[in-house]
Amino acid sequence: MTPNGAAAFALIVIVAAVAAHSLIGLAVLLALCLAFGGIELGGRTLNAFAWPVGVVAPLALFMGIVWIGVVGRSPAEIAAGVSGARTAALGYVTVVCARLFLVALAIRLVVLRFADSTPLAFIGALKAPLTAKKLIALTLSWMDTILHAVDRSRTALVTAGIIAPRLSLRNAANGWILVQTVWLSVVTIAIGRLRDKWPAESTLARLEEALRAPAPSLTPRDGWWMAAAIAALAAAPVA
Amino acid sequence: MLLYSRAEGNRMLTTPRLIVIALCAALNFSVGTIVYLVKLPIYLDSIGTILCALLLATDRKAAFVCAWLAAATSLIVSALLVNPFVPWFAGTDVAIALVAAFVIARGATTFRARPLPTYAFAGRVLAYGVLTGLVAAVVSAPVVSYLFGGVTGSGSAVIVALFLKGGQRVLSAALLSGLTAEPIDKTLQVLLAALLYRATPGELIALLQPPLASAAEMR
Repeated sequence: MTPNGAAAFALIVIVAAVAAHSLIGLAVLLALCLAFGGIELGGRTLNAFAWPVGVVAPLALFMGIVWIGVVGRSPAEIAAGVSGARTAALGYVTVVCARLFLVALAIRLVVLRFADSTPLAFIGALKAPLTAKKLIALTLSWMDTILHAVDRSRTALVTAGIIAPRLSLRNAANGWILVQTVWLSVVTIAIGRLRDKWPAESTLARLEEALRAPAPSLTPRDGWWMAAAIAALAAAPVA
Repeated sequence: MLLYSRAEGNRMLTTPRLIVIALCAALNFSVGTIVYLVKLPIYLDSIGTILCALLLATDRKAAFVCAWLAAATSLIVSALLVNPFVPWFAGTDVAIALVAAFVIARGATTFRARPLPTYAFAGRVLAYGVLTGLVAAVVSAPVVSYLFGGVTGSGSAVIVALFLKGGQRVLSAALLSGLTAEPIDKTLQVLLAALLYRATPGELIALLQPPLASAAEMR
């Protein structure tokens, strides 16, 4: 399977999940995702469920408190102006959470499907404009730089006695200095790379070369998964 | 470097600008993720978008394109790594980039003035923050209402609950909640972006100027 085929599959499943209005429609999509996981990920399918559960659980908790605990009726009942019941609110929360779970699951399945390849290889294989691919690769690189800058700046400011290494009122007062120090560190690194390091090492030209390679064509396997997802997209809203 | 950009046939997205877009996207992602994980009733995920527009304030069109690209890139990365639901707010990011490039960027001179014109600075931050918040609330409300049932999992769920309990419909509750929380969040974001812009070395801002302006400056 190619990254483009997997991305298209996830996109269709997400659209279908948003279009589905019933638990039956969402169950059809879950079955498709399970089949995808079982065939494409094998034993890692269970791992794929951990992230969506972790992401949706707090949302479900908030929604449960708001809709079932506080409001006590569904949106349809509010719109109709009737007193309503908590079971209807529970049904509404279940559909919304199941929909969100499927959105997260589809993304996670694709990420895990290509977990063995490097981020650069995955980005390079996508059918997208070169500038977009370069931006994503550079952003991932800067995220690491920012994290390193946070570590260095924090250590320096703790050593200077400006912030404390633990919970302290001093941190609330001087926290802004840490933010400013991190930003200035990163900007200084950026200027250094732009002026000296990257031109000397031809970093950007090499990155462009790595990302310019043509994306692999869709395989029959991609076609089968996309067809299955389209069928589920057609079935989900009416189920 | 400039020759490289021209050879690419894209004068708006010069190499320094691409670097700054990626930097601002990483800033959006880093701060937004911390706030998302600690479930605060604010977002702080557009500081990089606003900062990007300020850094390119002299060229409004480029400011919009670059600010929007920074927002879109952080959205993609965030969706893959942390929060799969942020891409639904792509429309909000376009709106924020528009406001940042065509309204907030007008305050660039005030934000960098030395000594700091305290009242003018505070007044602009407040006005721009409230405006951005109102725009973001209106654009986000349909997504919050339909996809999340009005509850996005942040602390603002409490505000939504209060409005729903008061008999408001989901869309109205999401909109009213947004109008309550977003101006505060966006004012904080504009303030942080303005302070970071103020602290940014002039050397970086000079690198971001259009090729002709940079050449003229060098002469």
